[in-house]
Amino acid sequence: MSVDTVNVFFAAGAVLGFALLTAFTVVVAAARRSEAAAEWRDVIVESFGPHALVLAAVLAVGAVGGSLYYSEIVDWEPCEFCWYQRTAMYPLAVITVIAAWRRDHGVGRYVYPLAGIGTGLAGYHYLIQNVPSLAPETCSLAVPCTTKLIWEFGFVSMPLIGVATFLAIVALTWIDRAFHTRETKPSAGT
Amino acid sequence: MSTQSRSPKRLPVLPIVVGGVAILLVLAVVLTRGGSDDGGSDVGEAAAVEVSGGSLSRLDDTATDPELGALAPEISGVDFDGNAVAITNDGRAKMIMFVAHWCGVCQEEVPEVVGWLADNPLPPEVDLYLVSTGVDETRPNYPPSEWLDEESWTAPAMLDSEDFAAATAFGLPAYPYWVFVAADGTVVGRVTGGLGADVLDSLAVNLAAL
Repeated sequence: MSVDTVNVFFAAGAVLGFALLTAFTVVVAAARRSEAAAEWRDVIVESFGPHALVLAAVLAVGAVGGSLYYSEIVDWEPCEFCWYQRTAMYPLAVITVIAAWRRDHGVGRYVYPLAGIGTGLAGYHYLIQNVPSLAPETCSLAVPCTTKLIWEFGFVSMPLIGVATFLAIVALTWIDRAFHTRETKPSAGT
Repeated sequence: MSTQSRSPKRLPVLPIVVGGVAILLVLAVVLTRGGSDDGGSDVGEAAAVEVSGGSLSRLDDTATDPELGALAPEISGVDFDGNAVAITNDGRAKMIMFVAHWCGVCQEEVPEVVGWLADNPLPPEVDLYLVSTGVDETRPNYPPSEWLDEESWTAPAMLDSEDFAAATAFGLPAYPYWVFVAADGTVVGRVTGGLGADVLDSLAVNLAAL
């Protein structure tokens, strides 16, 4: 499989991820006022809840694998901001795998801060890629953070894939919590 | 009528996830099938560069540049069409811009310079050169020949060698990199980063007056 194919695979996954995250956010926000939206939210939580931690772990491990593929196989040296994002994603992979293994439904307290920091770093990285004048004013000889090593569909770069991954992990962790909170709550009227 | 509460229906998540990943994979393979052709440029993107004279040390700090006043090295090579280009101490002042095709700041600086030249012709005593260096076909915006064509770059452009001999000779520390050479061949300024039209205009005027 060529590097281009891998790039498009990750980029298309990010686009799909953003579409699903947007739809999910709209449904959850609308669920307070709309019964139909509340039903959809429940369907999502019921469907993804039992698998959410495993999916979050798969995403985090996949992100670690992807970053190692680019740095160790393709030989793209990570830039400074890539390293910062790695420092958020790599622990997430360990934490979510352990949480999925131990079925720890309170893992959000560790996942949200790490993923939040990672999202912020990746978002800023995406910004300086597209507005290089916001970045340090030169490109280092090796790996400037303004370089778009991946640029698919006219807007998807590596940090944007990172943003999608961090947010998806947050959403899945939230779904896991919502599902198991509901499951352990005593039913009304009993 | 029964008011029995229904539990929400469940979607088949694992088939959806596995199917989704498979579709993404097929999509990626189809979209990149035969996609290694970068546009068929036959133009060389790097070429041998001959350096004569002493090389400048790598620029660490513009404010305390020890090479100010040193004689600039002379380099000769070719442009993207294979025509000879020489940047020598020929008695004319020079602005030399080193760029890398994948560098985002360079991608902003080149159109800035093109626009500046369109509005403000260079002083007759000053020449402007671009050196395309840092070429890496695995990095974005390759090949540089197409990039500079698209940006309507018209000033002389020299290809650096695969081991970046020209950039090394001038002590390049980062991209973009400007070197200003007085008419007597001495280095009067070295700076990294995008300068923009206004700064370039005053530098060109000052260079002409030296």
